[in-house]
Amino acid sequence: MMTATLGRLSQAFLLLLVMSLIGFVGIHAVGNPVYNIVNIETATTEDIRKATIALGLDQPLWRQYLLFLGNVVTGSFGTSYIYHLPAFGLVMGKLPATLELASIAMLIAAPAGTLLGLIAGRWQGRALDRAVLRASVFALSIPSFWLSMVLILTCAILTGWFPSGGRGATVSVFGLEWSVLTLDGLRHLTLPALSLAIPNVALIARLARAGTIEIEHQDFTRFCRAKGLSRRRILFRHTLPNISVPIVTIVGMQFGGMLAFAVIVETIFAWPGVGKLLIDSIQLLDRPVVMATLTFISVAFVGLNALVDLFYAVLDPRVRIAT
Amino acid sequence: MKAETIRALWKRPRLSWISLSRLLLAAYILLALMAPLIAPQNPYDPLQIYAWEASSPPGTIGGAGYIYLLGTDGLGRDMASTILYGLRISLVVAVTSTAIAALIGVTAGVSAAYFGKWADSIIMRIVDLQLSLPTILVALIAIVTLGPGTDRIILAIIIVQWAVYARIVRGVALSEIGKPYLDATRLLRLPSMRTIFRHLLPNCIAPAITLIPIELGSAVALEATLSFLGLGVPIDKPSLGSTVASGFQYLFTGQYWISLFPGLALFGLIASINFVGEDTRRHLDPRNSSI
Repeated sequence: MMTATLGRLSQAFLLLLVMSLIGFVGIHAVGNPVYNIVNIETATTEDIRKATIALGLDQPLWRQYLLFLGNVVTGSFGTSYIYHLPAFGLVMGKLPATLELASIAMLIAAPAGTLLGLIAGRWQGRALDRAVLRASVFALSIPSFWLSMVLILTCAILTGWFPSGGRGATVSVFGLEWSVLTLDGLRHLTLPALSLAIPNVALIARLARAGTIEIEHQDFTRFCRAKGLSRRRILFRHTLPNISVPIVTIVGMQFGGMLAFAVIVETIFAWPGVGKLLIDSIQLLDRPVVMATLTFISVAFVGLNALVDLFYAVLDPRVRIAT
Repeated sequence: MKAETIRALWKRPRLSWISLSRLLLAAYILLALMAPLIAPQNPYDPLQIYAWEASSPPGTIGGAGYIYLLGTDGLGRDMASTILYGLRISLVVAVTSTAIAALIGVTAGVSAAYFGKWADSIIMRIVDLQLSLPTILVALIAIVTLGPGTDRIILAIIIVQWAVYARIVRGVALSEIGKPYLDATRLLRLPSMRTIFRHLLPNCIAPAITLIPIELGSAVALEATLSFLGLGVPIDKPSLGSTVASGFQYLFTGQYWISLFPGLALFGLIASINFVGEDTRRHLDPRNSSI
């Protein structure tokens, strides 16, 4: 079990290394960031030369990459060209907002999806089941950015129920700013969290439904029914634990995916998180911040998956024996 | 008996639902093909655009004599025409990238299975590692690396999608390789290219084909998402995604039609592709019947 996890982790780090190399060369090919730093109208050749040296862009590309790698290991991605702050610190500063958003979205998606899936699977083929299935295809078809825009249009602009963007008031607890703890913050949180949650509700519901159908046909549920247990008790005490393994897996994976999908939702709702930082930095050619953000999201995702693998073994004794 | 009758009654709406989405998809393709004939305006031709009619609400009668059915955008382009032309770009990008991704993926998968050893491990490591990251992240990394532009976005989608085909085809090909007919090709000393493409490939391509509609839907969505983020198709010849993006800022001043209608068109397109794709998969691939 341990060796398998370690193997997967080392493989993942190899991938991250290769990706960082490709990304590094690619960003270099896209455009010279010097021209974003200096004022092109007024800068002399001398100014540009000085800025190039100051940013280390006069070094050969492989030296720049090695320098970058060395810095990554020590957790420093260089200084942002725009904010003149350490890039990694900038990402870390935006992280709580993203984590908060993703956590709330998952807290909505996981119970709602599981419940819908259980009910749909229990009454397979009935009207409710068909409705859930059909709605799930719709929910998975809606482009995330358009869903966010429709939410803004209907729930913010036309009705004024919720604010259309920003984070609202926050409370500082343990040195971090939290939106969940204030009413205004909650109001700001609702729409972005919903728009992150809806596709995941659909995904989890489909998975839970498939699992429930499989479990419902097994002998032990039939035995439970013969014993005279109520339907609700069978569903929640016997079926639910048995479908929990794939659900935990998908919840873990999707949580990592949410960190990536937050890029879209945060951009639209002007939520000051990691995703918005990434898009802003791409547009400003702020290379250290782009590299820091992409590296961070990738590492977080890979780490989460490894964690889920471990958790798998805790939940399901069969996995422990098999590996 | 009674339960069966009820089930039979419930079956009918599903049939019509599927044919409805098929019809919708066909309409989309037809509209995209005939866009220059149907569209009242060529949104790429500045001579046909009246800038003073920018942001007109739906139903406004324009200076050129036709009605702006869906209004105009911030530059004065007729929304209906922009959507029709944008549909063409969205479909072309999605179909091209899906086709090339399938081709590359299938070839890579079969080759990995046939050659085995280091070729297999190299290809499958890349596939495993790539599939372990969320698609949007891979796409973002690719597009940051490649830069914006229509050709780059096709490339980015190919990079995202080829791995799925490779994994599924390799799995089938591995089980085919043990069969006698492949030993026969080896005894006949057929060149490996011929064995792979004429004998092995036709026998393991079926599951890859069931994937194509699903991947097509996600290609449309991916292109739209990247374009929306300003990392994809340029704004002068917008796809559906970039049209929605250009309308986003007008949402707050009440000009909802600039982003709502292209988004609706996009949603309908993706939904119809997904419904048809799921139906196809259900018919062709019995293993996936439950999900």
